[in-house]
Amino acid sequence: MRLKPIEAGRWLIVAAALIISILPIAWTLLASLNVTPNNYSTPPNWSWPPSFDSYIEIGTAEPNFWREMLTSATAAALTTLLAISVAFLAAYSLARTVFRGRKLLVQGCLVLASLPVIAYIIPLWAMLRRLHLHDTLPGLIFSEAALYAPLAVYVLHSYIVQLSPELEAAAQLDGATLLQVLSRIVLPIIAPGVAAIAIIIYVLSWNQLLLPLLITSTQVRTVPVMMSDFFTFERELEWPTAGAALIASLLPVGLFVALSHRLLERFSLVATQDLI
Amino acid sequence: MIIRRQRLTLLLLLPFGLLVVPFLIAPAVFGLFASFTNFAPFENALQFVGFKNYLNLLRDDVFRASVRNTLLLVVCTVTLEMLIGFGIAWSLRKPFRGRALTRFVLLIPWLISPIASGLMWHYLFSDLNGILNFWFATIGRQSLIYPLNPGLALLTVILTDVWRKAPFVSFLVLPGLLSILPDQWDQARLDGLRSPGQIRHVALPHLRLLLLTIMLLLIGESLGSFENTLMLTGGGPGIETQTVGLYSFENAFKGFNWTGGTTSVWFIVVTVLVVGGVYLLISRQSVGKQ
Repeated sequence: MRLKPIEAGRWLIVAAALIISILPIAWTLLASLNVTPNNYSTPPNWSWPPSFDSYIEIGTAEPNFWREMLTSATAAALTTLLAISVAFLAAYSLARTVFRGRKLLVQGCLVLASLPVIAYIIPLWAMLRRLHLHDTLPGLIFSEAALYAPLAVYVLHSYIVQLSPELEAAAQLDGATLLQVLSRIVLPIIAPGVAAIAIIIYVLSWNQLLLPLLITSTQVRTVPVMMSDFFTFERELEWPTAGAALIASLLPVGLFVALSHRLLERFSLVATQDLI
Repeated sequence: MIIRRQRLTLLLLLPFGLLVVPFLIAPAVFGLFASFTNFAPFENALQFVGFKNYLNLLRDDVFRASVRNTLLLVVCTVTLEMLIGFGIAWSLRKPFRGRALTRFVLLIPWLISPIASGLMWHYLFSDLNGILNFWFATIGRQSLIYPLNPGLALLTVILTDVWRKAPFVSFLVLPGLLSILPDQWDQARLDGLRSPGQIRHVALPHLRLLLLTIMLLLIGESLGSFENTLMLTGGGPGIETQTVGLYSFENAFKGFNWTGGTTSVWFIVVTVLVVGGVYLLISRQSVGKQ
């Protein structure tokens, strides 16, 4: 059977996208195993054999690397938990109460979600210093959760607004409290969506540089901040060591996303077309 | 009782407000106020200085170049990311063996933080072990290419950003494409529509809100983020890749020019608000049509 041109074009796009996405990372992976080409010779010859020396070298170049991984994982997890919790309550409230300007508030959340950190980081930094929250885990978590909660409100609102309120009303007539309605009826129905946006926020938080770079210094240090240090202190690292640190920091989120991929696959940023 | 429940439900907004007002909205609003004063972190007596900070900015060549670069960067990256992202999603919309794996692999570039991506490309563009010059060396070309040199640097910053985010856009678009009912495709095919027609008359109307949402988020991100640039070029060579975000960051935290730092970001905030306003208008119109 011959491939129709349009089919061939489709396969070409998918193949190109895959190769372009993965090749730079594969190159980095090889470098982290001390397999690098020497482009000054024609054709380039590769260094061989591979070794894990660069991964051991991370511990020398950045003595606290593994602790920073743990800090990043903890901060991202707590940020996600806080952001999703307050966003879920707010999204439910916006979906089930009637007051003027409530739609504008939902859309305002999206505009707020697109406001970049640099737009308000200087006053935030000054404020956290005054509140003695600078360089503390709570300061970092509150700031990051505030950054990501608006996006979660927007997404979760679009899920909840789709649900028919009848089930909730029936439960209420049977004497269920508001918290019971939320935890036993609403949350279970939209759980896949909640989990998916939670994973997205976890990754965003894990990768966030600017907030931890500026509002933390010595007590709390995350992986992206460590990565930025690779250059700022005039100590340009060996490429294999930097590559090893990059691969090591990619592995936890990579594994996490791989395991939860089925959930993410169906993730929709906007669940309904008649939101507005 | 229903009214009581309504009030209780309204209270659920409170935790969100308590988080977002002090840690996001108040600093942003205070930033606007501060841009009209002699603001500095340890300055206790704020003095009103009118538009002085803004006039100083407009006189600064570096700031003007940053605005130009930022606009260029936003327009190019967002356009490319939307087009490529949609193209990939379109190519993935029919099921095939390994589609789930393909989608996961396409997610990996986004999992790398912007800072790590900048670091990675910095090395991948190097002449000795880089990926680009590897191919040149393989075909026996003697002179190597330096993508971070003058003339190419801004393009390089744009392309590396597209590398990281375009596949993620396809990831967000695909569920929307898949939610279109098979009948609608069949109908379009019966009407004799080929791919371009199907995209225009079936996919785009259905995905309008989703695409607008993704675009707004991408614009905001492109306007402010500079981690990638920081690692790749640091704003150089010269000021060729200097952006407003980087300008503000460097002025405030490297040069301790706090007023310059707080004032310059108002370009970003105002642009986000304008784009957000346009988004609200367009999304309202699209509902009116349905």
